[in-house]
Amino acid sequence: MWLKRLSIIAVVLALCVVALGAYTRLKDAGLGCPDWPGCYGHLVVPKSSEAVSNANAAYPERPLEAHKAWPEMIHRYFASTLGLVIFSILFLSFKARKSNPQLPIKTPLALAILVVFQGLLGMWTVTLGLFPTVVMAHLLGGFTTLCLLFLLAVRLHSSPDPVQNSGQGKPNMALRFGILGIFILAFQIALGGWTAANYAATVCSDLPICQSGWQQHVNFEEAFKFWGHGIDDYEYATHLGADAKITIHVAHRVGAIITTLYLGSLFIWLLTRNGISSTIRQAAVAALAVLVLQIALGITNVVMNLPLLVAVAHNGVAAILMMSLIFLNLSLYRSGGIKP
Amino acid sequence: MNRVISREFSSAVSWRDYLELTKPRVVMLLMLTAIVGMFMSTPGMVPLDVLVLGSIGMAFAMGAAAAVNHVVDQRIDSVMARTENRPVAKGKISPQKAILFAATLSVASMFILSFFINSLTAFLTLFGIVGYAFIYTMYLKRATPQNIVIGGLAGAIPPLLGWTAVTNSIDPHALLLVLIVFVWTPPHFWALAIHRRDDYAKAGIPMLPVTHGIDYTKSAVLYYTILMALCTLLPYLTGMSGLIYLAVTLVLNAIFLYYAVRLKFAPTPGIAMKTFGYSIVYLMCLFIVLLVDHYFTITLTAQ
Repeated sequence: MWLKRLSIIAVVLALCVVALGAYTRLKDAGLGCPDWPGCYGHLVVPKSSEAVSNANAAYPERPLEAHKAWPEMIHRYFASTLGLVIFSILFLSFKARKSNPQLPIKTPLALAILVVFQGLLGMWTVTLGLFPTVVMAHLLGGFTTLCLLFLLAVRLHSSPDPVQNSGQGKPNMALRFGILGIFILAFQIALGGWTAANYAATVCSDLPICQSGWQQHVNFEEAFKFWGHGIDDYEYATHLGADAKITIHVAHRVGAIITTLYLGSLFIWLLTRNGISSTIRQAAVAALAVLVLQIALGITNVVMNLPLLVAVAHNGVAAILMMSLIFLNLSLYRSGGIKP
Repeated sequence: MNRVISREFSSAVSWRDYLELTKPRVVMLLMLTAIVGMFMSTPGMVPLDVLVLGSIGMAFAMGAAAAVNHVVDQRIDSVMARTENRPVAKGKISPQKAILFAATLSVASMFILSFFINSLTAFLTLFGIVGYAFIYTMYLKRATPQNIVIGGLAGAIPPLLGWTAVTNSIDPHALLLVLIVFVWTPPHFWALAIHRRDDYAKAGIPMLPVTHGIDYTKSAVLYYTILMALCTLLPYLTGMSGLIYLAVTLVLNAIFLYYAVRLKFAPTPGIAMKTFGYSIVYLMCLFIVLLVDHYFTITLTAQ
């Protein structure tokens, strides 16, 4: 059935779009094309010498650099394809529901709205000169799109949720701890997005928090100012002082410690419980493995001064960690919790 | 005592001065927690008579406790900039009249609560009045820097009063609400005390920033904020509240922690007062979202 296939394609495609987005940011290519939706007014990056000179005449302050324009355009091509796929999913869901009203419709609808909004955020990313708040929102929107697509694919590929009747009135504690984990991880991802959007990933090269004496270099007011800067180009975050960048970076490190402790304890706690189903066990093992990988990537970024590939992977694995956590929560939800 | 001052200022006494005597802004915040406590105790609607009479009874009690506080603290209030305009401190209302006013309110409150609500609520309310007006104001406040921590219990009791007014029994979930207000009080009050340290020192009140220094108090604010953030997760984890509550509370806590961390590590002028101001917004939003969540529970968690 096409809906099922398309949902898998969409997940893979969304993961690519997220990774390409991270790549674009890390290559400093976000303004590779200073206009939107075209690139210097063209559908593809201008190549002929005449087109290039026209482009440079139209944007004298930002002459064309093809190696920066291409990542941006490829990200846009993939993203618009994903948009089309999501609208196809919505269309097919409406059609298929005539014969099977059990099929999810709220998720496809939410996705369609979200992907349009993501398009807008993508536009503002360019037109507002990489305004960090928009850049972070664009990243979070991308992660949300990916996670909703993943949830949809899992639901389409399994039997409908069984009716919950176990332990009436008794809360599903494991699930509640799991959902709290989703919020904590989402917050940590936002801090990571804020670090990237403000070019703060390389200001602390020591473990575990920052260079000694960082306590003397904090500026919260500047670090977490989300609007009202009154400038129109935020590339390389030159509007921020070193102290603000250190504060942003430190926040992500402290967040990493909290997130690791919380998620690590949660997964290990689940694995040591008696009476958990094999699905939950596998999901917890997988999530734990992804968590370890993500920490290793984060440490590598610090020690090796942000190698491009590792940095992109740190972004992608964050998305995979969120998906594995969502899958774990779905398993906990369906099992009605852990039997005592 | 302040006879000269009282003569000078005792011009026309209006009902506004008596209203001021009841600390209406504090009472409104406490009443919010009490009324939310009523609604949280039942899946349906709170009976209208309990809602109206219970609220009046509790508000009278809180107003009475506040009036006693004004009388007892007359001397302190008159030397502190924040409180020097209070009606008793300024001499607009004589202590005798204020005491009579407080006694009338208390008797009315006890009458309403024990006849129309239930004796458990009346008894707990009495405990709250005694706790705040006598144990806290007369003794703890002057005796120990832990004054507002221990005394905070009296201020934390309103959600329990609201709850027992409806159910006539003490539910663990009601105690959870008490716990939240209880752990919220120290960071809330100490933020103000940091800002008003010199005032408290002048009045000879052993507030934590006076006895242990501002830096120590800032650490205490941060630790209590962390403790509070953890306690506010309990309504979700115990199944009393759902996802709306969790999501909003996490954001509220993140902002509070942000203020507490800034206060400790990167203070800017006026940050203590901003923290204090936010703490009020925090508690209001938290109880409002408890209520919203109670009636719009997202059914994702099924149970």
